[in-house]
Amino acid sequence: MSNNYSRRSFLRTAGSVAAVSALPVTMIELAFAKPAENFTFAYISDAHIQHIRGTKFVNNWDRGLIRAVAETNLMMPRPDFVMFGGDLAQLGTRAELDHGAEMLARLNGKLYCVMGEHDYYDDLGEYWSKLFGPQHYSFDHKGVHFVVLNSILTFDDWTHNRWPTPQQRMLEMAGLDNPNGSPFMVGDKQREWLRKDLEKVEKDTPVVVFSHSPLQKIYKGWNFWTDDAEQVQALLAPFDKVNVIYGHVHQIQYNQIGNISFNSVMATAWPWPYPQSYAQAEQFMPKLTIPMNRADPFFERDATGWQMVDVNTGRVGLAYNLYNNKSRTVAFDPKVGHPVDKELQSVALEPNRTHY
Amino acid sequence: MKRTIIRSALAAVVALPLAIGATTSRADEFTKQDAERWQAQFMQVVQKGRELWTDPKLGKNGVVCAQCHPNAANSHPETYPKFQKQIGKVVTLPEMINWCIRNPLEGVPLEVDSPEMTALVAYATYERRGVKLEPGKH
Amino acid sequence: MRNRVACFWVALAGIGFPAAIALAGPLGLPPVPVPAGNPMTSEKITLGSTLFNDKRFSATGEVSCATCHDPAKAFTDSPLKTSEGINKLTGTRNAPTVVNAAFNATQFWDGRSADLEDQSQHPFVNPVEMGLKDHEPILKIVRGDPTYAEMFRKAFGIEPAAITMDHVKKAIATFERTIVSGDSPFDKWYFGGDKAAMSEAAVRGFKVFLGDGRCVSCHVIEQDQALFTDNRFHNIGVGINRIQDRVPEIAPKFLEAKAQGMDVDVKVLTDPASSELGRFAVTEGLDELGAFKTPTLRNVAVTAPFMHDGSLATLRDVVLHYNNGGVTNKGDRVNDFLSGGIRPLNLEDQQISDLVAFMEALTSPQHARPAQAASTRAMGAGTSAVQAAPACSTPSSASGTIAAQQLAAAGDTP
Repeated sequence: MSNNYSRRSFLRTAGSVAAVSALPVTMIELAFAKPAENFTFAYISDAHIQHIRGTKFVNNWDRGLIRAVAETNLMMPRPDFVMFGGDLAQLGTRAELDHGAEMLARLNGKLYCVMGEHDYYDDLGEYWSKLFGPQHYSFDHKGVHFVVLNSILTFDDWTHNRWPTPQQRMLEMAGLDNPNGSPFMVGDKQREWLRKDLEKVEKDTPVVVFSHSPLQKIYKGWNFWTDDAEQVQALLAPFDKVNVIYGHVHQIQYNQIGNISFNSVMATAWPWPYPQSYAQAEQFMPKLTIPMNRADPFFERDATGWQMVDVNTGRVGLAYNLYNNKSRTVAFDPKVGHPVDKELQSVALEPNRTHY
Repeated sequence: MKRTIIRSALAAVVALPLAIGATTSRADEFTKQDAERWQAQFMQVVQKGRELWTDPKLGKNGVVCAQCHPNAANSHPETYPKFQKQIGKVVTLPEMINWCIRNPLEGVPLEVDSPEMTALVAYATYERRGVKLEPGKH
Repeated sequence: MRNRVACFWVALAGIGFPAAIALAGPLGLPPVPVPAGNPMTSEKITLGSTLFNDKRFSATGEVSCATCHDPAKAFTDSPLKTSEGINKLTGTRNAPTVVNAAFNATQFWDGRSADLEDQSQHPFVNPVEMGLKDHEPILKIVRGDPTYAEMFRKAFGIEPAAITMDHVKKAIATFERTIVSGDSPFDKWYFGGDKAAMSEAAVRGFKVFLGDGRCVSCHVIEQDQALFTDNRFHNIGVGINRIQDRVPEIAPKFLEAKAQGMDVDVKVLTDPASSELGRFAVTEGLDELGAFKTPTLRNVAVTAPFMHDGSLATLRDVVLHYNNGGVTNKGDRVNDFLSGGIRPLNLEDQQISDLVAFMEALTSPQHARPAQAASTRAMGAGTSAVQAAPACSTPSSASGTIAAQQLAAAGDTP
């Protein structure tokens, strides 16, 4: 099976005029054995809508989400559904969630949402659930089993006993580098739910897990971390093809642990430096990842964007649509058994371009 | 982690006994206590810088430095002065900090030699300690 | 170093100096980039200038490059909003200046030409510009005219039958590379150290330019030269705002037609809706929907009206558009694809006036209005026969060539 990642090949092999009218500048087309099973979905994440006062919100983050929605709506053929990857709000207030939901409502197509810590820690997801439904769930689509986890929970004590007010609790969790924060986790209850949910799934059914936290242990200081990552991974181990797609990190990351491919999605709001650029940190950044370039803060959309996810015979490829930068494609390469950025993999990167 | 480092630096100063005869009249000499006291004063300024780094009142829209620069990462204090394309010329770190206060934070720039600016610079540089100087590096 | 004259080099070339010369720029500019495959020579410049002004290369015999890029108007057709080609047909775009175009990384508002050479061929065959069906009429003329034969022989060492559009393009591009100008009041003040060169308002405006106005990131100034362009493409909310609701319909249709062989150059100049797609029409990148090239601000004050569609009449209108955060009328809906560099500026009125004053300080002396005396004929205007008029030896030329100016000053007239 070969992977052809180019729009040109899409046009060539598509055949009909109708397919040519596609506006798939970030679509990737894969040559594969059973064309009928292929599908795509869009992934928008980490909007961080931030309320200033009254009807004023931080313009920069608003525009990021607006652009992602507008561009997603231009995709043709239409993606099967759209995921929102968490952190719609910045401080989990009603005003922010409402403002964000209003912008998401302009999406054409079905929307599924993932919980993020910035949505959760004010009212423990109560208002979010009113808007978007359950905080963890699963669904099946075209032969793939999708699981949505709420992976930004933390120790009960920290959540319930540590802080005088919900707002304070939210503020403490909101600071990425805040030493008063607490590590993310899926937690016993939800892991048990996951175990039961997966019981009904065949081992050769592709599984895609959506999570806000990485379900890996990358850098604890910034909560690029899931405390029970190994246990969650163990539950996923029996399956042939597992893909974890996570948000939270605001940068392109990818990794392979055993049978599980990990792909992060970008934020529409702002990019984050890579952990290796914090001089005092010890971290475990996946060696596979070729990092994004350092952003230019003048261009507020630099190093932000959204992504199209292509599911091809059970493996995912992400076409990252960066508004101000060269778009990137990271996809599973069966020849080497892990995600790869084919274009950049063979290019010697100038050291200045990356975060340092 | 960083808070404990700052706290223990302060504690070390407080715990030191005053030694008689430890003062000196020579201009080029200073005592261990002096050095530690000054270091502690520096760390207080670093601490103030950290507070400003996470203070929504620094700008006018509630955005804080730490949102894009957790632990001052990606601020590269060791590369200044350098050509800063957003300002069109070679500038120092305080000028770039002011650019950030003006732009993403939509705020009013600080006086370059104000205590607040000094604190911000102290914090960012402290988080970057140990990294070699590379002035001009883009 | 900086004041070395283009024509000086050209003169040297004439007496046997190496034919390929590098042009040192005027104050405030870097050296002009010259491609290895098209070195500058005085013969090419002369030929290029003649071709630039020849109206016979149009369907009606009335339109030359200089028609829309008039040397007397800083090589534009100010005050026209969009240019007029044969039979006064209008297109969708405002004629950009040739002055300092040599420093542009791409040509045209949407960058669809990679260099001056490539750009020069397109207007000839655009239906609303020169309106030729193809380039054959041009080749017929240059091959058949003995004056041209002599010029091509001198410039390229070829006989008439061997002349191709490649030679024509190279000559025109070479001529255009001499159309550079710096030495504005700003240059004298900033790079030349002349504290009195700019007005106080312009000095204040420069601070706005670097600070609250946020201009410098795209209209680039550097430590020792200033091109005032980053050579990139940005959606700043001009034009696209009119069609923003129809983008989901227009964009796919455009791509479909393009995939089926439609000529982008023709389409974007004749179809207003497609024109607003901007750079997207060329690269098909979503990130460049409605994006247009950052033009240089040098001589901007004498090239009104402004923007790719000529829709903003004055510099003040331009600043207000930016101040509003990418909409011309405050309160209009900002388009979804707006560049991340554009946001409301909240400038005070004084700052706006000062910024305008600063932009007015970017005009080079030879383009200042009121320009050369109206009686001075623009180069090559209204000729039916070829004028062998080398750029360097026309002292009263109203052209912006620094060559001519300096040559006149040096008293080096024929």
